[in-house]
Amino acid sequence: MSKQGRDRLPRITRRESLKWFGMVLAGNALTPYPADAAASVVVGDDHWPMLKLAPVTAPGYGQDPDLVAMTAGPWPRTLSAGELDIVRLVAGILVPREGDVPSAAELQVEDVVDEWVSAPYEAQQRDRVPIVSLLIWLDAESERRFDQRFVDATDAQRVAIIDDIAWLDAQEIYRRPAQAFDRLRSVIVAAFYCTPEGSADLGYLGGKAIAGDYPGPTAEALRHLAGVLASLGLEAWVDPAAG
Amino acid sequence: MAAEHPDVVVVGSGAGGAMAAYVLTQAGHRVLMLEAGRDYDPKTETPMFQTSADAPLLGAGTPDKNFGYFDATVDGGWQVPGEPYTTAEGSEFLWWRSRMLGGRTNHWGRYSLRFSEHDFKGYSRDGLGADWPFDYEELAPWYDRTEALVGVCGANTGHPDMPDSSPGVLQPPPKARVPELLIAAAAQKLGIAAAPMHRAVLTRPLDDRAPCFWATPCGHGCSIGAAFQTTTSLLPLARKTGLLTIRTDAMVSAVDVDAHGKVTAVRYVNRKTGKTESVSGRAVVLAASACESARILLNSRNERFPNGVANSSGQVGRNLMDSTGAGLGAMIPALVGRPRYNEDGHTANHIFIPWWGHEQQAKGELDFPRGYHLEIGSGFDAPNAWTGAGVQGYGTALKRRVRETYGAGVYFALRGEMLPNRDCYMDIDDDVRDKWGIPVPRFHWRWAEHELNQVAHGLTTMKALIETMGGEAPALPSPEAAIRKGGEIIHEVGTTRMGTSRKDSVTDQWGKAWDLSNLYVTDGGVFASNPHKNCTLTLMTLAMRNADYLAGELTKGAA
Repeated sequence: MSKQGRDRLPRITRRESLKWFGMVLAGNALTPYPADAAASVVVGDDHWPMLKLAPVTAPGYGQDPDLVAMTAGPWPRTLSAGELDIVRLVAGILVPREGDVPSAAELQVEDVVDEWVSAPYEAQQRDRVPIVSLLIWLDAESERRFDQRFVDATDAQRVAIIDDIAWLDAQEIYRRPAQAFDRLRSVIVAAFYCTPEGSADLGYLGGKAIAGDYPGPTAEALRHLAGVLASLGLEAWVDPAAG
Repeated sequence: MAAEHPDVVVVGSGAGGAMAAYVLTQAGHRVLMLEAGRDYDPKTETPMFQTSADAPLLGAGTPDKNFGYFDATVDGGWQVPGEPYTTAEGSEFLWWRSRMLGGRTNHWGRYSLRFSEHDFKGYSRDGLGADWPFDYEELAPWYDRTEALVGVCGANTGHPDMPDSSPGVLQPPPKARVPELLIAAAAQKLGIAAAPMHRAVLTRPLDDRAPCFWATPCGHGCSIGAAFQTTTSLLPLARKTGLLTIRTDAMVSAVDVDAHGKVTAVRYVNRKTGKTESVSGRAVVLAASACESARILLNSRNERFPNGVANSSGQVGRNLMDSTGAGLGAMIPALVGRPRYNEDGHTANHIFIPWWGHEQQAKGELDFPRGYHLEIGSGFDAPNAWTGAGVQGYGTALKRRVRETYGAGVYFALRGEMLPNRDCYMDIDDDVRDKWGIPVPRFHWRWAEHELNQVAHGLTTMKALIETMGGEAPALPSPEAAIRKGGEIIHEVGTTRMGTSRKDSVTDQWGKAWDLSNLYVTDGGVFASNPHKNCTLTLMTLAMRNADYLAGELTKGAA
């Protein structure tokens, strides 16, 4: 769906939206809504769900965790299997496979997203509501556009939705999903580049012990710098410690 | 044996306490060290080659671990559960604590810049603050000894704000990286000289410590001992004498003073039992950190000393200073897509921009006193929770943008001198006690025009540097918005300042309390001013010099 085409879509009715949300929420066993949860969902023109999630009250890792042994937060995870499916699909669109470099989905970054939104800390809890809301919205938007849930849509259909929310200057009607997507993207992209595969793709060459003195920039890097200095009209600085 | 009959009780195991213990034990004196936090062994507890993927939340900072999961701070941070502090109305202040053996030396930045002749005599030059009770020449040989013992890499350049070390003292510095070389060239065009940073990181072996292998962040701690922390250097060296006993989980609350002005006991809470215990020695060294030591003195008040002990001057808790902090960063288009290589180095600045404004200041061309320096953030960092932040879109285009901009950003961090002022001090909040029952400090804070004007100048300079490199600087914030909170740079000093008169200072030039015959302070509290050069090297230098003096007094039987 192109950005331009969006305006020609018929307006979603509140009744239809509530039906979708009821369906989505019924599958979300880990968000403890009251019996009238669907009715508590406020729907605007962008059918953005206004979630009231029960706060995460699990303890954090404390101020003296085992820095060598602990590799993931000890708190319980809160995303449902259905939500994780959506995250995995989004991760594959955000960071797709390129040649031998696996996609973020192949590297299971959804585990990091689950750890992130389930963490008891304030910053992560601030991300939780928009990210979980986005997962609900993606399903509802897919239903609205294509009459099928996000996981059942075609790759092209999913990309069409993501394309509408992938920039912060998205159309007004996509503003809230775009802002939430920005947060989800931040976690997924960082999680991808923190993997060995992502780190290699980025070109990080450190983290390896070197015997002797620090070798400094390569000849290629220094040649590039010389070009940069010339283009900016700057004279090379002579390190008084060199030589 | 040292525990039962120590010559000296040292409170604190960080930079000042460990140096005092090292000097005293080398001189043959028995030392009992009290540390509020738990025991800590960097050899077994340091996450060396762990990556962000090996940490909860990709290693991002949280209220439990403010500087990131792997930061070598145990039971500490901006807040310690059960150990609150308060701020006066309208004041903002942050107080970092590390409740662990070695204290904040386990994670510190390790920048080690000597104060210069300007710094010790600021009052004589501009009439502000206070002079130190000695000049640079007095301290120079002690800087040499401290640098040689601690292990500092750097280079003598003759820069007017960076006194040279004696030949052979400094270890060789690492080569500069590409963004640093670009920044140095841009600064040069603006008439500003960059210089190799001096840092307490070994580039050559020292004692049983290995030199840096250029791979793991010093802030995590250093199991090979290359990055200085007292737990791999001064404390093991002092222990080898057999004269040092360390008692951890000992939270000092107060000292007892007799009618003759002599400290007779140091009282502490055993954190494991919750019981109050006490020890005594011929002398007591407070090195619990500037604010903790001042808190101990103020909390030692009694009928004879209603304002706290060692406080006839009324200066305990006063003259609280931090460094100023502000920053500005931008993407440098010319660095986009640059050739990759390993830029880890010693994981902090290889070069930086020292203060260059002495001449302008002398001519009256600047609207603020004293100076600042600029530290640099740049490089092909290890991927972390912020990698790719701010990049929009999706798919291969997103990946391309992340790759292109990797290592193309630069960030300048200002660290500047703050003058003491009447609005910045700490006292005791009698309404609040910590979980050990000890009344807590209350902080009062207000930046003065000096600091705000300095930050404004710094922001303008950073903008000029960014633009000289072809970058587009963000709109400059007001200095009030840009300046970091009091305490946030973690260079708090001055609360037990030294001086030449007991009327306006707490200790003499040896860190010995004017009012007490056997109490010394060897932490940052004794600073008479707070030059922009990160305080720990000078703190250790003073601790070495003054512990040496105390050792002499003990040998003479004078203490």
